[in-house]
Amino acid sequence: MENFLLFISTIRWQDVVDICVNSYILFRFYVLFRGTNVFRVLIGMTVLWFLQRIAVSLGLIVTSWVVQGIVAVGAIIIIVVFRNEIRRVLQAKNFKSILWGLSYKTVTTPTEIITETVFQMADRKCGALIVFPGKEDLSGVVQGGTPWKGLITKEMIASIFWPDNPVHDGAAIVQGDQITFVSAILPLSEREDLPSHYGTRHRAALGLAEASDALVIVVSEERGDVLVAKGNRLREIKLKKTLENNLQEHLGTAAVEKSAARKEGLEIATAAMLSILFITGIWFSVSRGQDTLVSLDIPVDYINRTAGTEIVDTSVKTVSLVLSGSGALVKSVTPDQVGVRLDLNKTSVGRNTFTITSDNISLPPGIVLREVTPSEVDVLIDETRKKEFPVQIDWVGRLAANLILVDAVTDPPTVTIAGSKRILEEIATIYTEKVLLDELSGKGELTANLVLSPASLKIASGSKDKVTIQYLIRERE
Amino acid sequence: MRNRYFYICLVCVVVYLFLLQPLLPVKHVGDAHAAQLELFQALMAEDIFSNAPRNPTTAFSVKQKKAVCFTSFNQVPQKLIIYHNWYHRDVPSAKIRLTLKPPRWSTYSSIELNKTDIGPWRVEITDETGNVLEVLRFSVTE
Repeated sequence: MENFLLFISTIRWQDVVDICVNSYILFRFYVLFRGTNVFRVLIGMTVLWFLQRIAVSLGLIVTSWVVQGIVAVGAIIIIVVFRNEIRRVLQAKNFKSILWGLSYKTVTTPTEIITETVFQMADRKCGALIVFPGKEDLSGVVQGGTPWKGLITKEMIASIFWPDNPVHDGAAIVQGDQITFVSAILPLSEREDLPSHYGTRHRAALGLAEASDALVIVVSEERGDVLVAKGNRLREIKLKKTLENNLQEHLGTAAVEKSAARKEGLEIATAAMLSILFITGIWFSVSRGQDTLVSLDIPVDYINRTAGTEIVDTSVKTVSLVLSGSGALVKSVTPDQVGVRLDLNKTSVGRNTFTITSDNISLPPGIVLREVTPSEVDVLIDETRKKEFPVQIDWVGRLAANLILVDAVTDPPTVTIAGSKRILEEIATIYTEKVLLDELSGKGELTANLVLSPASLKIASGSKDKVTIQYLIRERE
Repeated sequence: MRNRYFYICLVCVVVYLFLLQPLLPVKHVGDAHAAQLELFQALMAEDIFSNAPRNPTTAFSVKQKKAVCFTSFNQVPQKLIIYHNWYHRDVPSAKIRLTLKPPRWSTYSSIELNKTDIGPWRVEITDETGNVLEVLRFSVTE
């Protein structure tokens, strides 16, 4: 119990937000794509991913490679093969409905008008073939077709299937409140157990129903029957109400019965719960696993140095940190994500000793500090001063044997340096960079940079970091 | 009797001078030297020839084997000591004691050069009390 409370106390608000956000993303993904082939394939991919992890943990090298390859290729395949379905889901919604809401059927199909028209055409023995797509994309199954995009009315449907109309000999596809395509060619069923009086229109209706989740209404030209094809079934409908109910059930516009609503609510709640459990599981495995150790050498940052003081010396430049966490997190940790900072705000001139604690160390989320070596750091602080120093040229190389450097002066002859009082007391001269003698002769002028050592020294404002050298070379006596 | 007065007066004068000595203005020996000692010339040269510097320079090749610091004083009030303090990159390398004699005196010090001496040098010329009279800067090169 105590351990549990200790564990709860280590959970940050960021962790809760992390789990909630990702659970919701997963849940929305389910809501948007449920019932589609994309979702089913994604489930398959997830199972494959788990298999791959299991294969890795069991040390099945080739198996894990193969499954990893399938998952990697599968991700591309999903996008390419199901691009139309993905586009349809995303295009059919506005931004709000992608983030919120549970149903995406915003445009209802006028089932009453369709039912009425279908039975009128049956009475007149006017053949018709009307397709109501489900959630699957039909573009790979249905061929041809003339774009129509007309709002559904009795007259519209009747005129499309009027025998003299050039587009009457094919299927009309209904999406929402529009007839989107006419004269579409459907795949024919190859079943041999169909009654002999069924013609091509019946076989086409059944063929599409078998190949997809669409519902197809057939009006027989010879017998004046109304039939509905769905799945593997093709059944005759005698009553308008039955047809209307079938349509409403298929299109999702039927009055939702209590049990159905309860069932859907349960499904959604289960999905939400599973999303939370799934993401929580992933979060625990990624962020709370402490099975991997890593050692990093991190430079110490000394911050908030008091104005007018300077760090003269430190006992260490870097400290070695032993960190632990889950394998995935530890592998992704880079030295630039880890920081060791010592606050010099309350230091005094002289030697200051700091004990490095976890408060001084910033780590990525999910990474735990195990050990710091060394745990104590000595920092020598001194006052900052300014002092004027003579500049001396650091000649190197060699003049020609007959030549001699008679004179060399710098302009300016002195430079003011700012730095630690102790360091300034230890040095007497500021040297130029190395100046080569080899090519020099006669009289001339050079420019040379000043070399400051140690690097903590700075040239005071108002002084130049370069000097001009005037030299005079003559022949040796 | 006259002798007695003479000795009494003499003792009084001696006692008087002894007692008043702390109150008299002190004239330090060094100050007197600094006030009167006049450095006429100071330079670095490759060698000394006939008591004069030869080939004055500020860059010595180690091949020359030797660097000489030459100093010449116009006024030397009395026998004095000066020092030539040699520094290699601000690190003391040699402190050479030299004697000056009135009325004028020239003197020099030198070091032998080898490869470890390559780099910037300076010679501080000081009097006995450490007052810096002149600083000469030069380099030893290959």
